Amino acid sequence: MSQSNREQLRRNQAAQAQQKRLTRIIGVGAAVLVVVLIGVFVAVLFQNQAHTVKASSATPPNATASKDGIVVNPGKATAGAPVVELFFDYQCPVCKQFEGLYGASLKSLAESGAIELHYRNMTFLDNNLNNDASLRAGIGAACSDFAGKYSAYHDEIYTNQPAKEGDGYTDEMLSTTIPATVGITGADLTTFQACYKDQTTKAFVQGMNDSASKAGVNATPTVHVNGKDLPLQTIAGVQPDGLGDLIKQNA
Amino acid sequence: MSDTSAVSLYRRPWQEWVTLAARLVLGVTVLVAGLLKVTRLDASVQSVRLYQILPWDFAGFVGTALPILEVVVGLLLITGTFTRVSAVVGSLLMLAFIIGIASVWARGISIDCGCFGGGGAIEASKTQYPLEILRDTGLLLAGAWTVWRPRAPFAVDNWLFAPIDHTDSALEPIAEDDKESTR
Repeated sequence: MSQSNREQLRRNQAAQAQQKRLTRIIGVGAAVLVVVLIGVFVAVLFQNQAHTVKASSATPPNATASKDGIVVNPGKATAGAPVVELFFDYQCPVCKQFEGLYGASLKSLAESGAIELHYRNMTFLDNNLNNDASLRAGIGAACSDFAGKYSAYHDEIYTNQPAKEGDGYTDEMLSTTIPATVGITGADLTTFQACYKDQTTKAFVQGMNDSASKAGVNATPTVHVNGKDLPLQTIAGVQPDGLGDLIKQNA
Repeated sequence: MSDTSAVSLYRRPWQEWVTLAARLVLGVTVLVAGLLKVTRLDASVQSVRLYQILPWDFAGFVGTALPILEVVVGLLLITGTFTRVSAVVGSLLMLAFIIGIASVWARGISIDCGCFGGGGAIEASKTQYPLEILRDTGLLLAGAWTVWRPRAPFAVDNWLFAPIDHTDSALEPIAEDDKESTR
């Protein structure tokens, strides 16, 4: 074999080996990229799926126009009355405390028409506590609005809030016990239980949480008066019967 | 060079063992952080939104994609696959986390960093920003070292980027620098 032939053979072998090495590197690299892309794609799809509005979804009759909450005193507020929004999560112990201290006072202001009271129900504690009790409680509360019992149902959830944060609410509690206590009966009860079971108000409740989150609210309870934050420390400085004046001052 | 020869492990310079440790520390941390979040994407999205840095919708995408990226980068670092590129990504993640935490700290927002899942608004007295930043800085250093010296034992790269045996070839050998730069 001549010198140049042997040289040629070596060159071919080296080129082949080089090609094989390159194929190997590109192959593994492409595989990694594909895994990442598929992973992200599947996750985004999965997330969208979880937030898809079901065909059977419904908005409570007393929902605000922008669907970011439920009006507690529909049609009662006098013209020009300040809009008071209460942001809460049914699993939040401080919200229960707040409700116990100022809830009645807010409601009487709402009943008298001095304010327009919106409840903006959030569900972010589900993520922190790793359960779905806030969402289910929210779905139940929104369903109760079809029977005209929203406010009473709302109060009753807090009455039954578990002593230990994170224990959540059972389906039994939300779909049977509380409706019985607040007097949802007969055909209303059938409608309510179908609504709860089919999670008809789920998209609405998720929407309430999203709109609150978009508005920058990420802790509860939070009170807004005409869209402006009324800090809890400020509220804590007045007695419940002074709440009306405080709201007026900050309107 | 090859891991298959018994003597090579003992002849490796000490820097390669530092790299192995740095690679594993960063890789395991990132992998665990990703795994804890990947099954609870809603919580991950919520954590990202709590930083109030990214636009609301984009934060949704980041919160969804981040855990997956973490899992992949963690696995690549642990196995030593594309070590340098993976370490660059890992280091950039740490840099982003440090900036994010410093940003919420400076703005007086009280949150749990949500680094290992969880997260959420917490009382100001319960924030752990200095500790979180210190931890991420340590991990950033581990990443930076690995970017600088990606070569280490027990790495897929040692097989993936194994140089062609030139002992009976007259072709020009691959320069040492070239080999490093491709990792």
